[in-house]
Amino acid sequence: MGRVSKRASFSCILLILAGAFCLLAPVHASAALSDRVSETTLSNGLKVILLENHKAPLVTFQVWYKVGSRNEAWGKTGLSHMLEHMMFKGTKNVGPGEFSRTIEQNGGDDNAFTSNDFTAYFENLSADRVTIPISLESDRMGGLFLREEEFKPERSVVMEERRLRTDDNPGAVLMEQTNAAAFQVQPYHWPVIGWMQDITRFTIEDLREYYHSYYRPANAVVVVVGDFKKEMVLPLIERAFGAIPGGNAPDQQRNMEEPQLGERRIVVKKEAQLASVVKAYHVPNVKERDGYVLEVIEALLSAGESSRLNRLLVREKQLALAVGADNELLSRDPNLFTISAEVMPGKTSDDVEKALVGEIERLQRELVSARELEKAKNQLESEFVYSQDSLFYQGMILATYEVVSTWKDVDKYVPGIRSVSAEDVRLTARKYLVPANCTTGVLVPIPSANPKPIQPGSPSRENIVR
Amino acid sequence: MRRLLLSACLVVCSIAIFSGSAFSLPPIQRFVLDNGLVLLISEEHSLPFITFQFIVKTGSKDDPPGQEGLASLSASSLPLGCAGRTTQQIHEELDFMGAAISSGANEDYTAISLRALRKNVDRAFPIVMDILTVPTFPVQEVKKEISRTLGAIQSSEDQPGVVAEKAFEKALYNGGPYGHPTEGTRESVAKLNREMVSAFHRTYYHPNNTIVVVVGDVDDGLLKKEIRPMLEKWQRKAVPQWKGRTPSPGKGRTVKIDKPVTQSNIVIGSTGMSRDNPDYYAAQVMNYIFGGGSLSSRLMEDIRNKRGLAYSVSSYFQAQKNSGSFEVLLQTKTASTNESIAAVMEDVGVIRAELVSQAEIEDAKKYLVGSFPQRFSSQSKITSFFGQVEYYGLGLEYPKEYPSLINSVTREDVLRIARTYLNPDCFITVVVSDLEAAQGK
Repeated sequence: MGRVSKRASFSCILLILAGAFCLLAPVHASAALSDRVSETTLSNGLKVILLENHKAPLVTFQVWYKVGSRNEAWGKTGLSHMLEHMMFKGTKNVGPGEFSRTIEQNGGDDNAFTSNDFTAYFENLSADRVTIPISLESDRMGGLFLREEEFKPERSVVMEERRLRTDDNPGAVLMEQTNAAAFQVQPYHWPVIGWMQDITRFTIEDLREYYHSYYRPANAVVVVVGDFKKEMVLPLIERAFGAIPGGNAPDQQRNMEEPQLGERRIVVKKEAQLASVVKAYHVPNVKERDGYVLEVIEALLSAGESSRLNRLLVREKQLALAVGADNELLSRDPNLFTISAEVMPGKTSDDVEKALVGEIERLQRELVSARELEKAKNQLESEFVYSQDSLFYQGMILATYEVVSTWKDVDKYVPGIRSVSAEDVRLTARKYLVPANCTTGVLVPIPSANPKPIQPGSPSRENIVR
Repeated sequence: MRRLLLSACLVVCSIAIFSGSAFSLPPIQRFVLDNGLVLLISEEHSLPFITFQFIVKTGSKDDPPGQEGLASLSASSLPLGCAGRTTQQIHEELDFMGAAISSGANEDYTAISLRALRKNVDRAFPIVMDILTVPTFPVQEVKKEISRTLGAIQSSEDQPGVVAEKAFEKALYNGGPYGHPTEGTRESVAKLNREMVSAFHRTYYHPNNTIVVVVGDVDDGLLKKEIRPMLEKWQRKAVPQWKGRTPSPGKGRTVKIDKPVTQSNIVIGSTGMSRDNPDYYAAQVMNYIFGGGSLSSRLMEDIRNKRGLAYSVSSYFQAQKNSGSFEVLLQTKTASTNESIAAVMEDVGVIRAELVSQAEIEDAKKYLVGSFPQRFSSQSKITSFFGQVEYYGLGLEYPKEYPSLINSVTREDVLRIARTYLNPDCFITVVVSDLEAAQGK
């Protein structure tokens, strides 16, 4: 859903991850992840979550702050993400850019990403270098230098990021508009990267205030996964982070969406090659059992080539080039279940929408067969096992659960999925996937001439080189 | 088991590459089967699943003229049917196991991947072998695959970065085998058919043209019982030698493409090098300093951090089997198009004129050598690492050699690389932009 926005585009792992996140569900039933996790809370309120994993001599060090676009105010949208960028601009001990340079000199990669609910920073590096991120991350939690001369160009960088990710990407504009229509009261109304006009008006004072409100030990979680010994690493973390003054955890209460009173439709007319349709329904998150049922529904609709939407819309009827279903299970506040399709050339968005609705109605009408239900559960469980492969993902799963509820809930996923019955699927589809709870977004392409190279001799051609 | 290997050569490699940090590589075994197939195995038992990758040594460089996109279509058509199974049955069975497959081609090679829980490998692996060795390419399904490809080509025109890259490759490779998009063009794909796909498969999909990498929860028992026997049944056949010629690159020029977007997508570059070029390692060091992935490269410092002109600006050498390019990529608001191009050219001028500093080259070496173990941080990374080591003929000693290949690069080497490969006279510049807005400042 394009909710994760990160600082640099040179590696696309995070965006891929965002797409797969719905499947990041949880652990192999036989080996509960949480059995191997240890949790400590320092006296200043900082929570430390450690998971030893000795399969490779690597470590991922992550600091997650419980602040994202949901914490922003109208007129200051995108401030969380702007601050994420500024976190690399130095402290009184570390010069601008020195953070990343130091990590790179140690053979590590670092980056950060922001969502509706959190801002996360990570360093992946050899396990014998773990002291480096401990000292750098505690330093910037302890105090950030925010200077006008670095802020001004960085704000332009963020504006370029918005143009790149959203403004020149018709699918992203459609999602942004659909979210803005589906949420009227809840802060998920606005995009993580913020509205362009807000970005242009940020000030250094906005950032200072925001940093002081939210970048506190009591509002943060440190997660370390990899080839280390807890007895070695925990004292290092305690020494480095323990001295940072605690302060109060910020108020995290936000407005919640009121029940929707009828179907909403929006149209986005934009230069694009193909039409798209998205249908978004308000749903509960991981805190309610229905959240797990919706995971299964997501898998039935779109996991794998044999899934219902792929089979019918993409392969058999060739109505859509691509389809997707996405349940936002790991969301701090209740979020959306979306189904979407990119319309095949020559087909209409009406036909595609009818087919999508047809599949929803089928879920509401017929009980899913035992074998198909088992298939969906197998897919979700296998995906969970596969997702354990990388230390970074393991850290990300634990941290996301911690932000949303508690990391301990990671163990509830597979049993939660396994307990879903065919009747649950039908009841849940009848309860949430109904027109009155739906916002439909349609991307209507404005036809334009196909892009073609300017012919030699035409007036706008110029030779910059040679 | 070793007695059964016959002509197989076995190399077990477990080497500490850092004197200081006792880093050990994932274990790797290499077998050459009687039918010529190369099998690479890396065992790691912490999680109960296995990743397989088949690399068939054919890609879009082998597309016959007029049939651009054929290697890619052949790869994506593999799961459309195989002996005794329809496409729906193939996917139904694999999905039921929670197994994931994918197949696709790049310029150089075709990769078919399978990921499955260990308990399901005895059922999933034979399906993938059937897809690979006895695909049926049902005519109706291939037709649908062609329409999907055409739709995807059309859809990709909404991505200005993709449009720019395609135009750059077309201009640089000048009608040669690397000059067309892997997936083909609207014109060429519309002319493809089932017979062409089937003929392409018959020509290139042979064991003596294939590498198989198996990583994860695999052991001798599984290998001997399930995996090797199936691979050994596959019959060797002659594979044509690559006779492609890379034409001399198109001469330096600017290509402009009009598109109603808010940013200019810019590619600046020229001919680079193939993967076997001895300059490759010096080029990696030069590129890291100039614009490689790092957040502290010169381009990043200058164009992003100092001038705030772009979110993403980077450079890279794309080194392929028989060809390669050097490219700078960036996106900037239309009004700063010319300013950004001028800034890149200025940075090119500096790295061609002066030796890089001692600190810069040391930082580059520390990163390139120090980050090497990250290439083994997941099953899929280990799989693609060893697949490429084999495909590009780097040898299993490569991880051991890598630090000295990098550490032996000098500041003079970096200057020589910059002067050889970053030659503004040869640069092809592609700008995808709202041209009127970009022009009017």
